[in-house]
Amino acid sequence: MTMRSHDLEAVLPTTDVGPRPRPLLGDLSRRRWRWQTIGGVAALFIVGFIFVFPILWAGLSSLTSTNDILHHRYPLSWGSILPLRPTFENYALLFGQIDFQRNLVNTLIAGVGQVSLAVVTSTMAGYAFARLRFPGRDVLFALLLVTAFIQVEVVIVPLYKVVQSLGLTSTYAALFLPFACSPFGIYLMRQSFRDIPIELEEAARIDGAGPLRVFWRIALPNVRPAIATLVLIQFIWSWNAYLWPLVIMQDPEKQIAQVVIAGLKSSPNFPMDGPMLAAATTVTAPLVILSMLLQRYYVRGLVTSGMR
Amino acid sequence: MAATLAASSGTYHQSRHPVFGWSMILPSIVGLSLFQFLPLGTAIVDSFRAFDPFDQSPAGWSGWANYAAILSDPIFVSAITNTVVYIALILFLEIPLALALAMLIDRRLPGTTFARSTIIGALAASEAVTASIWNQMYEPSTGLFNALLNAVGSPNQPFISGQSQALLCIVVMSVWKDVGLPMLIFLAGLQAIPGELRDAAALDGADGWRTFTRVILPQLRPSLVVAIFMTTISSTRIFTPIIILTQGGPNWASANLTYYAYAQSFEFTSPGTASAAVVFLLALLVFVTAAQIRLLRSPKGA
Repeated sequence: MTMRSHDLEAVLPTTDVGPRPRPLLGDLSRRRWRWQTIGGVAALFIVGFIFVFPILWAGLSSLTSTNDILHHRYPLSWGSILPLRPTFENYALLFGQIDFQRNLVNTLIAGVGQVSLAVVTSTMAGYAFARLRFPGRDVLFALLLVTAFIQVEVVIVPLYKVVQSLGLTSTYAALFLPFACSPFGIYLMRQSFRDIPIELEEAARIDGAGPLRVFWRIALPNVRPAIATLVLIQFIWSWNAYLWPLVIMQDPEKQIAQVVIAGLKSSPNFPMDGPMLAAATTVTAPLVILSMLLQRYYVRGLVTSGMR
Repeated sequence: MAATLAASSGTYHQSRHPVFGWSMILPSIVGLSLFQFLPLGTAIVDSFRAFDPFDQSPAGWSGWANYAAILSDPIFVSAITNTVVYIALILFLEIPLALALAMLIDRRLPGTTFARSTIIGALAASEAVTASIWNQMYEPSTGLFNALLNAVGSPNQPFISGQSQALLCIVVMSVWKDVGLPMLIFLAGLQAIPGELRDAAALDGADGWRTFTRVILPQLRPSLVVAIFMTTISSTRIFTPIIILTQGGPNWASANLTYYAYAQSFEFTSPGTASAAVVFLLALLVFVTAAQIRLLRSPKGA
């Protein structure tokens, strides 16, 4: 069930390889092959459209006033999807009265806090589990894998009590401290450290380097791609947080953007559809683009997390 | 599992530095104990406690009373059913879809990059935010989906406000959002299949379907196990789409155990029954994964 990390290289996006070599076929099969190709390409574009549509639609609708959204969405017309009278008023409201940039900064603070702590703890523990021997190591590693089952939604209530008793309710630290140690991160780093040829470390050790020096000078520089993966995945996870900030953050000044967006869902009396979609676009677009550009690192991390 | 991992890691070369080793893992151990094991322990202890109804301070031990209370609660029983329905529906929709998408993308036709990027984009987008967007599309009176239905002459559907449709709406949104993960796992598996295997099957005159069932599917077994495993765990704890799209409604029709535990503690401020529900959920998770390990274990025991 475990997959070694060199298998993962196989899944990394191979954009420029072109179609698989066409098998040697007779005339009849060749014609069928061509139709299958056309069907496949059509299917790919339909699939791409279905997956991009909701986000694209939110982006287009965010350029339409709330009033126009409500009037043109139903029944179906061009105005249901396209901004016929484009306007930036939703963004103006969002970054004016609603002061959404404050929430964006809060999201960033939570993300940077979670990423930097998780990278430090994961690389340290990952290296220790991969390369050092100490009593209790294997038991602790097994215990650690168990925590991968415990998700924040499940233990939210007792976790709330723990953070409350630490006096951290409604602080920035409360947003990211519970996620500072990640079983996924430790597992990922452990696998990466084990892929370094042991001879590198052996050589340094024979030259008289202490364990800390070996870790810092030899091992760490060799796992840079894994660290990039970890940074990206942790950042995306922190960007996905919703329930925990909703519960632990009672200070609206420090609330993260995602919770504010869900709060902007239209109410019948005072529809906020436009600003909501503008906020959703603002939050989603950078992350979606980031994940597409850095697919290599993102996919590697996801597939590794699947192997945990 | 840990033992086999340790055995294969070349223990001969590992240096013995007990103090250094311990200090390297100390931050993680402290963090995980404080934020994972302590809450878990608290939940188990609290599930056997009575609480003062006004200030929610512990008021002595109550034995199995909290468990008796939730088990006699029809909403809890329906939450168990819903949890199982979520798992089953998501598994049966997401796994075949992910496999089909992986096979399609593995053909590397023009348009592959576009399709794969959009699937990965959906996977990376915030769950709360995409649920808010889908909420607009599902909107029962003037939503985009009803506008589409109306345009092709179908009657309007209640979607998220329908007793029998709310749960399905959440399932559809979740599958759209999460199908990329099992797809990437299948893609990794497909790309690891040696090309000679497919060629040999083609030379033997096997058609597409036979190649798929006799060659590809058996080779994909490890990927299938992992994908089913992960999808089960994520569909057991599905929460954010529920709270944003339906708040568990209408009439608890779309509430699962996670949502029930949340509602017990934050809406009904009942820490004892909430903890009992959490322990029940974790027990269910352990049971389901253990059952899957048994069922999916390869025949050779490898």
